Amino acid sequence: MVARESIPLELRRIRVILGIMSLLLLGLAAALFRLQVERGSEFEQSLQRQSLRRVRLPAARGRILDRSGACLADNQPCYCLAFYLEDLRKPGRWQNTIDEVMRRIRALQPVIGRPPLVGAEEIRMHIRKRLPLPLVVWRSLDPAALARLSETRVDLSGTDIHIEPMRIYPGGERAAHVVGYVGRATLSEAALKAYQFQLPEVEGKAGIERSFNADLSGEAGGRLVRINAAGLKHAEARERDPRPGADVVLALDGRIQELAEAAIRGAPGAVVVLDPSNGDILALASSPSYSPGSFVPTLTTAAWDRLLNDPGRPMANRAVTELYAPGSIFKPVVGLAGLASGRWSPDMTVTCPGYFSLGGYRLRCWNPNGHGTVNLRKAIEQSCNTYFATLGMQCGEQAIGQMAAAAGLGRKTGIPLDREADGIVPTSEWKQKTWHDKWRAGDTCNLSIGQGALAVTPLQMAVVAAALANGGDVFQPRLVLEIRTRDGAAVTNFPAVLTGRLPVPANAMQVVRSGMHDVVMAPAGTGGKARVEGLDMAGKTGTAEYGTAENRGKHGWMIAFAPYEKPRVAVAMVEDEAVSGGTTVAPRLQALLRGLFQEREADG
Amino acid sequence: MSRRSEYLALLARMNWLMLAAVFALMTIGIVFIHSATHVREDVTAGLYQKQLLWALTGLGAYVAAALFDYRKLRDAAWWIYIMALILLVAVLFFGTKIYGARRWLMFFGTGVQPSELGKLAVIILSACLLSPPAEKFGRLPPLGWMLLLAGVPMLLVLKEPDLGSALVYAPVMLAMLFVAGGAARPLVCLLLGAVAAVALVLGVVALPEKAGMSAERQEKFFRAIHLTEYQRDRIEVFLDPARDPMGTGWNKRQSEIAVGSGGWTGKGFRKGTQNILGFLPRTVAPTDFIFSVIAEETGFAGAMTVLGLHGVLALCGLYSAMSARDKMGRLLCVGVVTMVFTHAFVNMAMTIGMLPIVGIPLPLVSYGGTFMVITLSALGLVQSVHVRRPGI
Repeated sequence: MVARESIPLELRRIRVILGIMSLLLLGLAAALFRLQVERGSEFEQSLQRQSLRRVRLPAARGRILDRSGACLADNQPCYCLAFYLEDLRKPGRWQNTIDEVMRRIRALQPVIGRPPLVGAEEIRMHIRKRLPLPLVVWRSLDPAALARLSETRVDLSGTDIHIEPMRIYPGGERAAHVVGYVGRATLSEAALKAYQFQLPEVEGKAGIERSFNADLSGEAGGRLVRINAAGLKHAEARERDPRPGADVVLALDGRIQELAEAAIRGAPGAVVVLDPSNGDILALASSPSYSPGSFVPTLTTAAWDRLLNDPGRPMANRAVTELYAPGSIFKPVVGLAGLASGRWSPDMTVTCPGYFSLGGYRLRCWNPNGHGTVNLRKAIEQSCNTYFATLGMQCGEQAIGQMAAAAGLGRKTGIPLDREADGIVPTSEWKQKTWHDKWRAGDTCNLSIGQGALAVTPLQMAVVAAALANGGDVFQPRLVLEIRTRDGAAVTNFPAVLTGRLPVPANAMQVVRSGMHDVVMAPAGTGGKARVEGLDMAGKTGTAEYGTAENRGKHGWMIAFAPYEKPRVAVAMVEDEAVSGGTTVAPRLQALLRGLFQEREADG
Repeated sequence: MSRRSEYLALLARMNWLMLAAVFALMTIGIVFIHSATHVREDVTAGLYQKQLLWALTGLGAYVAAALFDYRKLRDAAWWIYIMALILLVAVLFFGTKIYGARRWLMFFGTGVQPSELGKLAVIILSACLLSPPAEKFGRLPPLGWMLLLAGVPMLLVLKEPDLGSALVYAPVMLAMLFVAGGAARPLVCLLLGAVAAVALVLGVVALPEKAGMSAERQEKFFRAIHLTEYQRDRIEVFLDPARDPMGTGWNKRQSEIAVGSGGWTGKGFRKGTQNILGFLPRTVAPTDFIFSVIAEETGFAGAMTVLGLHGVLALCGLYSAMSARDKMGRLLCVGVVTMVFTHAFVNMAMTIGMLPIVGIPLPLVSYGGTFMVITLSALGLVQSVHVRRPGI
């Protein structure tokens, strides 16, 4: 033995290190012993008898309500039979597990009484992409099936009945183009990598369901459940409560919406009803419509194809996404432009011979016999093309374009719905850029009577109608009033937004409004068919030609507001295939207004 | 004596016990990587075959390193160090991002982790500079110099970020300085400082919430001190595992259940339900959590075998250190042994919940190419010291 002192320092220190390492390993061994041998039986038992199942608690999707709180989109419980594939795992290749699951599904099919929603391919997909989540094999089980299931002797281990909130649309087709619909969520690969059960299974695919999806969807919670071999739940471990989605309150008035939909039923077209005092969208309807409920839980491919290939295009929201030439309903704007430009006064008259001459070319007035000598008020009442072409040539296309832009035409209103169209207010720069051609006098004539390249959406024209109704205030149409959490704790309000004011003197507005009053109320007014007994109102009809020379059609238009003195509603209505605005659209508008005001009067 | 017979003579002097332990650990690794991945039908299914290839490559490096005279490293030490630094800087710019960290450089389709090379480079350079004749400094370089040399790569690794790999530098430097004959007091101070730093980090993570800071201010605070969210999560989960069993706490809890349910002898090869059912996170089962697969399937007996083999490895390495011909060889052995041991200890300790989860693999067992080759090269250098020991 060598004396301790004679061992060099370095060697002694290596021994110290050896000592430290030995101590650490001993500590580790002791910890392993405690974990594996002493407490091992507790873990082992817990694993032999139980397996831990991760259960997802879906969040109830927020509701979509109208302004009075009536439900346009709600949830109802849906009983599903789900398989937990992790519990049914068979050794070896996954194919063994798939076979096992298919065998169990076949055994259960007579009990449930209808074919399963999934096949081997879906099971394989589920294993690859979302293994920890339950695989729903039957959805919407009725009470009878649930009763049979509870008495069956078929092995139910690895399965569970769980309740999912299912989206329902209590109104059927009511406000379908506004509410939209939901569909199965498409999840990104990245999202699937994380813990999967917080992910939503449905997401909004159109309308408010889509644009407010983040608010509506909430956040799923989770729970760890211990399951024994028989599939019975043992104890519930930690829980993360789901956070329900927030409710979205729309400005729509359910009753007006119903009237609006009834008014355009059967005709391809659209109608928008605004509150002229704040821009609230009281109704927005497009026809033909579809039933958003048919998308839940899933739409069959055949039904989807039918919807897509329907020549009536029920999925298109004509009120927001379609562009129309406004025709004569644009004339009030032209009139305002003329008066505001200072180059025209209300008393200036034009004698209409039934056409307007521009060089060698005659622009026909709709009345071939001519309107005689008319002033502005009369010209609006009679919708005289000659008068407005003359006025338009006098004040110029720039003044008209500026007034149209001030009224909100040519740009999106910003309504939170899909694919809103911009519209077009043609200018000389626009024509140069788009058609590489210079602006001609004929273009000004066309613009003056709402034809040519001018293109608007029904929603934009409703905003114009509202501005004419309230004396010049241009509002951003408001579709959503507020978002509020289920417990009412947090509320987000969307205030009314005044985007501008028509730059016209008060007396000019007065003349145009009185002209529109005569359109409906005067004995020979073009919109007389919209008249409602006992209601003093104003409006303007329009008929716009479209299509090629061989295949010509007409859009019928009417804008209106009522009552005349203190307007409570402003309406824009369009019909795709019309004889004229006055004969085709006015009666439909009358039905809407009659229902609206007579019922209101009845309510007191 | 011909060169060939000289090599044969060297091989005959090898530490066969150490080589046996290395073999045993690598075999266990390959077998259980197979077990950890056999339930999967994706790209990782053939992982054990790749590992076998890496093991063979590593063994080649091992033998080459053993035959190479470690004393010649004195000329190359600075170059190796500088190359490692260049790679560590390069990875920050050109590295491939995996799970939020840039740790990989791609060379001809193969991922290389420069942080592993960095550790070995620091060990080699330190061994040269701490032993005579350290001409670069004339005499024993001061403690500060050594800390600087280790600190630069450590900070670069931290930047990737790879907290686990960066932490390994500390015990390695401490052990080498200690054996080199550094005064005990500053070293003890350094050790205490390191412990205090860890305690501080733990405290810093836990305190703001305890002090009732708003979530927003906590967020700002942590950004200010450069703690990423996942690092914070891991530390918080370590302090309170029940905190969120669905999220970050899941790995730790499941790993504990896996190890715990192993019992005396385990559930049998390829029968680990925690692993089969995917409760152990699939991406880490063959890498950082291979030990929990082994412990579940072979129980306490198997876990102790792995632990014992790593003990044998450390013992052999330190024996080589004691019998080394010179101080440089001694320090080289101490550095390599400490590096391998630290990895092994931290990995096993985090698997059973004794330490927070930091991404550190189990040497020679976990799946991973660069680390396998570097570990084997390092252990080869220990052999190189061993076969050139004086006497007999």
